[in-house]
Amino acid sequence: MNIQQQSFARRGFLRGALAAAVLVPLAGSMASCAADGGGGTAGPTGTVSDTNPFGMADKSTVDAVIFKGGYGIDYVDFAGKAFENAHSGSTAKISPSTDIAQELQPRFVGGNPPDLIDNSGAKAIGFSTILAQLEDLTSVVNAKNLEGKVIKDTLYGGVLAPGTFEGKLAAMNYVLTVYAMWYSDALLKDNGWTVPKTWDELYVLGEQAKAKGKYLFVWGKEAATYYQEMAIASAIKEGGQDVRLGLENLKADCWSHPALQSVFTALEKIIKAGYFKPGGSGTQFTAAQAQWSNAQEALFYPSGSWIENEMKDQTKSGFQMTGAPVPSVTTSSKLPYASLHSAAGEPFVVPSQGKNVPGGKELLRVMLSKDAATNFAKTKLAPTIVKDTVPADGFGSTALVSQTKLLSDAGDNIYTWNFIDLYGTNKDQLVVWNTFLDGKSDVATLTSNLQEITDKIRNDSSVKKIEVK
Amino acid sequence: MTSVKTKTLQVGDGASAVVVPDATPPVYKRRRKPLTFDKVSFFVVFLGLPLAIYLLFVIWPFIQAFGYSLTDWSGFSPKQNFIGLENYQKLFTDDIFMKAMGNNILLVIFLPIITIILSLVLATLVTVGGGSRGQIKGLRNSSFYRVVSFFPYTIPAIAIGIMWGQIYDPSGGLLNGILTSLGLEQFKAFAWLGDKSTAMIATMFVIVWGFIGFYMVLFVAGIKGIPAELFEAARIDGAGRFRTAVSITIPLIRDNIQTAYIYMGILALDAFVYMAALNSGGGPDNSTLVMSQQLFFTAFTKGQFGLASAMGVVLAVATLIFSGLVFLVNRLTGGDKDVSL
Repeated sequence: MNIQQQSFARRGFLRGALAAAVLVPLAGSMASCAADGGGGTAGPTGTVSDTNPFGMADKSTVDAVIFKGGYGIDYVDFAGKAFENAHSGSTAKISPSTDIAQELQPRFVGGNPPDLIDNSGAKAIGFSTILAQLEDLTSVVNAKNLEGKVIKDTLYGGVLAPGTFEGKLAAMNYVLTVYAMWYSDALLKDNGWTVPKTWDELYVLGEQAKAKGKYLFVWGKEAATYYQEMAIASAIKEGGQDVRLGLENLKADCWSHPALQSVFTALEKIIKAGYFKPGGSGTQFTAAQAQWSNAQEALFYPSGSWIENEMKDQTKSGFQMTGAPVPSVTTSSKLPYASLHSAAGEPFVVPSQGKNVPGGKELLRVMLSKDAATNFAKTKLAPTIVKDTVPADGFGSTALVSQTKLLSDAGDNIYTWNFIDLYGTNKDQLVVWNTFLDGKSDVATLTSNLQEITDKIRNDSSVKKIEVK
Repeated sequence: MTSVKTKTLQVGDGASAVVVPDATPPVYKRRRKPLTFDKVSFFVVFLGLPLAIYLLFVIWPFIQAFGYSLTDWSGFSPKQNFIGLENYQKLFTDDIFMKAMGNNILLVIFLPIITIILSLVLATLVTVGGGSRGQIKGLRNSSFYRVVSFFPYTIPAIAIGIMWGQIYDPSGGLLNGILTSLGLEQFKAFAWLGDKSTAMIATMFVIVWGFIGFYMVLFVAGIKGIPAELFEAARIDGAGRFRTAVSITIPLIRDNIQTAYIYMGILALDAFVYMAALNSGGGPDNSTLVMSQQLFFTAFTKGQFGLASAMGVVLAVATLIFSGLVFLVNRLTGGDKDVSL
């Protein structure tokens, strides 16, 4: 999720940087918004029924603040209209934001948060900081959707996990993201290459690509941790859930796990062989991605499924973007090759202190209807957590078709992790990964640097830890 | 040097010798005059209002920030616990924050010096650096150079950052394009902003580039205030251009230089926009990370407003210390008894 947020950051970048420029000299006054928070106002309540499962008052207003990133906000507008149709007299006020944390911080402190928030983007609010102030959304998944089906029966498996913290479903992640190694099917076919299934095969392909003047990978300085994502995903495949739990719970020496070490070693071999396009640590990540999708200087790029939408304007025609599982270390890995890192993203939350808590949940219920979910898949070329909204032709997108295939191949072997988002460490890790991908450090340095970042959080008593089982 | 001093003193004396009428009113008349409406409204509008705004929006937030820096406030809850100086202790043992502080110190030392030296040279060239016959004047077409070198200052900082980010791009950037076309093949994919050894220097260059024109204009204004006879006299005495600059120009615009140094230093202690635009993550091995960036990450991505407030306080104190140091150095080097026009 964090990785995804990174890629959307550029849209709000100008505004964010400018706002920041104004704000930083006033570092002091930022904090000044904090006064004594007002007490929570209980929302007005109406009658509870199947069409109004949360007892929203008649003719009430729902105040929603939606992160305006790669997906825009028009899909929530769409749901807002459906909401207004379902409850005549009520209004859905949907406001965009590119800087959730900064814009909503005073409202949280003042006890006046919106009723529904899409807490996403590079400047999302860290979950551990607001967890106690959020509603449990279990009632939403237990309610019936607009078509009369119980919502939890219409969702993909495991999609509630990333929003569940210590047993509480605090966030409903709306969009399903598949992490994969993306490539041009046309390019590979033209050269008679096949997708490598292990790191060794990948290395061999690197040699052949080099002969044709192509690299295996490119990277950009703001997105170096995409390779961290790839490494962790591959290591979990090799070593099983041990690897994941060690990282999630910030264990000592968790980065020294043999599975992670073997992936790092394989990566290092590829870097030292020069199969990474040099200069990535000084390249904007979108420029690097265009080197892959438009100039075709490299074969693969590890990323989330947002990559298709993000690079839409800068993809060579006939590219046939397709996703493959990240390579395994050995053919005898603990999880099968087809297992997948996939996570639901775009977390929607309902603050308990909002003026219209039932209304916030109601709007979310409308968004989870088949109609609204299909609209999202069709306009954004990405699946939501609602099943069966993507037709076989994937609305004409090869990437979307490959996502559906990856998900069905993986079956139950779908995993994700939260520790990077939860503790906000992506920025520190970027530094370490840029150095490593540049060939300026080795596996030992990479490991110790990453461990240092983990240890720092673990030993900081002021950071609330969330245990993952 | 001496001749300069006497001359200027005379000029100064002349200026201050204007007799002010009613300068010493009789003692018995020094009773408080009745407060008329005019007077009161004047006080309120021109003194009271600005003072109130200043107290409300500058002093009070600062006091509050200090208060929050003593708590573990997350920024999103109305509650916070008092934890004393723990945040400060954490800051000064945090290697990343110390690195950021080190980078700020590096900037504060080099940025003003480089900018001021270069803009002084330029200012001298366009005002007194011209031909050695006839009137004292700048180089030919100097007004053109003056306008051109002011251009960068009119571009917003964020645009400068983005533009130079593109120029420094390893594969498609202008800089590497030029260098490789000159036959320097080793720069083919050189990551100026991605290499630990060049990232800071490349960033500093961008900031200097952006400000040189502005300070040049400031110094030009200062130099224009010096009577041309001084330069002529120096020339007759056989002083070359360098000697003139060192012995006449610099001492006489000393105040401008000090102001420039402080302004540039405060910019160097912040530098947020340039750093965020060129290397938003802090650069390779955090080599361009500055305190204001770290403050921002801590507050908004890590949700540690208490700690971030402590960083803000450290930043403010550092700025105050810096200004104090500049004044002190200026005084120790004889700035207070030196000349002025």
